[in-house]
Amino acid sequence: MTRRTAALALTLLLTLALAGCSRSRDALTIYSGRTQNLVGPLLERFNQETGIAIDVKYGDSAELALLLAEEGERSPADVFLSQSPGATGFLAGKGLLGQLDGRLLDKVDPRFRNRGGRWVGLSARQRVLVYNTAMVAERDLPDSVLDLTGPRFAGKVAVAPSNGSFQDFVTAMRQLKGDDAAARWLRDMARNRPRTYANNNAIVEAVGRGEIPMGLVNHYYNYRFQKENPATPSRNHYFHGGDVGALVIPSTASVLAGSDQADEAARFVEFLLSPEAQRYFSDQTFEYPLVPGIPAAEGLPPLGSVESPSYDVDDLGGGLERTVELIRSSGFNGV
Amino acid sequence: MASTASEPLQGTRRAGSPPAPRWLVAGSALVALLFATPLAYLVVRGAAEGGTLRAAWASGGTLAPLARTLLLGVAVAAAAAVLGTTLAWLVARTDLPGRRVVGLLLPLPLVMPSFIAAFALLAAFAPGGLLAGLLATLGVERLPAFDGFWGALYVLTLFTYPYVYLPVAARLGQLPASLEESARLLGRGPGGAFRTVVLPQTAPAVWAGTLLVFLYTISDFGAVQLLRYQTLTTSIYAARVFDRTGALAQSLLLGVLALAVVAAERRVTRGRRPARLGPPGGRRLRVPLGRWKAPAVALVAGVAGLALLAPVGVLVFWAVRGTLAGSSRAGALVGDVGALAGPALNTAALAVAAALAALLAVLPVAYLTTRHASRLAGLANAVVVGGFALPGLVVALALTFWTLQAPGPVALLYQTQALLVFAYVVHFGSQALRAAQVAVAAVPARLDDAARTLGAGRLRRLLTVELPLARGGLLAGGGLVLLSTMKELPATLLLAPPGLETLATKIWNATEDAFLADASLAALLLLLLSGLLTWLLVARRGDAPG
Repeated sequence: MTRRTAALALTLLLTLALAGCSRSRDALTIYSGRTQNLVGPLLERFNQETGIAIDVKYGDSAELALLLAEEGERSPADVFLSQSPGATGFLAGKGLLGQLDGRLLDKVDPRFRNRGGRWVGLSARQRVLVYNTAMVAERDLPDSVLDLTGPRFAGKVAVAPSNGSFQDFVTAMRQLKGDDAAARWLRDMARNRPRTYANNNAIVEAVGRGEIPMGLVNHYYNYRFQKENPATPSRNHYFHGGDVGALVIPSTASVLAGSDQADEAARFVEFLLSPEAQRYFSDQTFEYPLVPGIPAAEGLPPLGSVESPSYDVDDLGGGLERTVELIRSSGFNGV
Repeated sequence: MASTASEPLQGTRRAGSPPAPRWLVAGSALVALLFATPLAYLVVRGAAEGGTLRAAWASGGTLAPLARTLLLGVAVAAAAAVLGTTLAWLVARTDLPGRRVVGLLLPLPLVMPSFIAAFALLAAFAPGGLLAGLLATLGVERLPAFDGFWGALYVLTLFTYPYVYLPVAARLGQLPASLEESARLLGRGPGGAFRTVVLPQTAPAVWAGTLLVFLYTISDFGAVQLLRYQTLTTSIYAARVFDRTGALAQSLLLGVLALAVVAAERRVTRGRRPARLGPPGGRRLRVPLGRWKAPAVALVAGVAGLALLAPVGVLVFWAVRGTLAGSSRAGALVGDVGALAGPALNTAALAVAAALAALLAVLPVAYLTTRHASRLAGLANAVVVGGFALPGLVVALALTFWTLQAPGPVALLYQTQALLVFAYVVHFGSQALRAAQVAVAAVPARLDDAARTLGAGRLRRLLTVELPLARGGLLAGGGLVLLSTMKELPATLLLAPPGLETLATKIWNATEDAFLADASLAALLLLLLSGLLTWLLVARRGDAPG
């Protein structure tokens, strides 16, 4: 009998615990495709400075975009933070994103904001080739990402074809070199026996173990693994001379068209573009700050010196749908 | 297991089912309707696509992932059936040393979220991994490749066998010893008694668990993605935003595959329900293992080592390394483990609520399917069980769609704990239903008849006769829902109220940024909490003599 009472008491306690955490009513609701580790401290800071309460939902950028599309006009969200312009572009295409104030857009370089004013870049990641220093000599590294289709690199390159950043990279290649050239590169790459992985983390981990000599990823993953274990023999190789392999991809902020707190939402985006928040991105996340005048993290080449090709998602016929189609038809596994 | 009462089954129910009471039919229909919401969402969305959907199926691009999905599902199901049944018998029926502790440890691999478990096992066993470093000092140069089909088969078998182990162990706990004793007296060895008595008696439980393993495997994403084996779920993932027709086509295919397999299983197992002989409970038989003791211990140790010790070892290694190094990062868990208390409490509360709600929801369907066979019973069974195969992402989007489409007060449920618990029930109710069906079917109808003759009302018979007898099986079912809920990620991320954190979302957050130490700490706590709750709510109570 006592056991039953204990179980009952436990159940009651847990029910109370659940009932205890109810939603605050007029809080600014943020759907964040950036993780809590990255933006959590910034949200707290904003709350302290402005007194505006915040409700935040963390998740995968693409999946939050799907959720927002399903919610439509009834979405409780006011702000959407995304890892990449791809998921944001999907929502902009559905007319779910509001127009940002020109004052906010002007804070960053034109190549890191949407021409229609639906999103503004906050921080940026650069595409790199991560390699295992015990397996690849520095002089054997390619000058261009286009060289990776050569026989020298057969079976040696890791890619994550279902990853958003890889898709953004292919989209940029389509814009800079044309659809035919992009399709050819993908086909030649797929024939060169690449190893396909789930995501950037899995690639950097595998390169660190020596399972594969090199892989196409974003620059900051290797910094994270280095921090966790400085003995990992993996390094970033940056492509130069405006090579498409050196693409810089912004993370984005948008305000939902259906937001009932558009003013507070705009204030929040403004805060993310403030020197304080930009310095945080630089110091804590190994990402490039996008507002001019804020220095990049130690050890990173400054963004101004990076010759990254410019591209515009909005200019592309067929957008990312066409990119995904091209990747799939090229014969990559895992797509 | 199956569950038609129209079959002549000695000792269970006379031929010809009595008509089901109206409240049971209405209750089951309502439950089936609620469980059908994810599939209905896919159908509604699919109808809007029409021709393009047919084109996506016809293109042939779905065939290869479908074939690979089936291959892996069947292989994992078979392996988990053998492993789970053997382990359950060893723990419940033999003089295996340390069986009480082993009995508590063996269900635990179920609670490891596959995305972190597979990541940890890769770090341990893959070429150049932690184990390779250890073995290299012993002179072993190369480990076999640890990915693709064999990697997925290995990892998924080790993390799903508890679906078989738990219901079979519960069934064995109820089984009277007399039958096996007779077999032993007639000169059968432990193996012989196992084949002729135990296996037929536990077959429904084995089938129930095996089906769950199959459905889990075809819906798994975390493990197959990391182990580089392409299935329907990885294809759905790749297509989910920029080829929504393709994703829809493959999700529907997954749902149809699940329904077909559930229906097929029902046909195969029809009429295999064993007779219930002798009174429940009583003394339990312990088979002396004799010379089989060493191999048995080796098997149990091997499974515990690979499914628990190896991943836990890696997690502990990462956690210790990170804690020793320290972290200056704001919000780092390595410096502030107390930050996990809130998420742990949320995890426990949601899981207990989901387990109770799931048991309550599936009981009418369990009764209808085992006592009053009908078309509705078959349909309800298929809908509830088949729902397990749909990815959590689909369940979450479907509930978002229906909740926000619904009039007035229902929309208020959106992004509340109530809707989240409902999502868990829809996603994992199958696990409670299979266990409940086995448990209810095992209750001898003669007892029920006797109580009726004595004038006991339906509710009273249910409360005083049937539920106490079915308790072990029901608790096992609730335990499965509990453990699955604790690690659920995709639906939790999308449907939880903003700000509500669970251990699974904490682990995911840390894994995304490669904060391995943080992820390990949260994962270890999840494991600990699951063990504690299993012991408190399931193992200890289920163990009590019936």
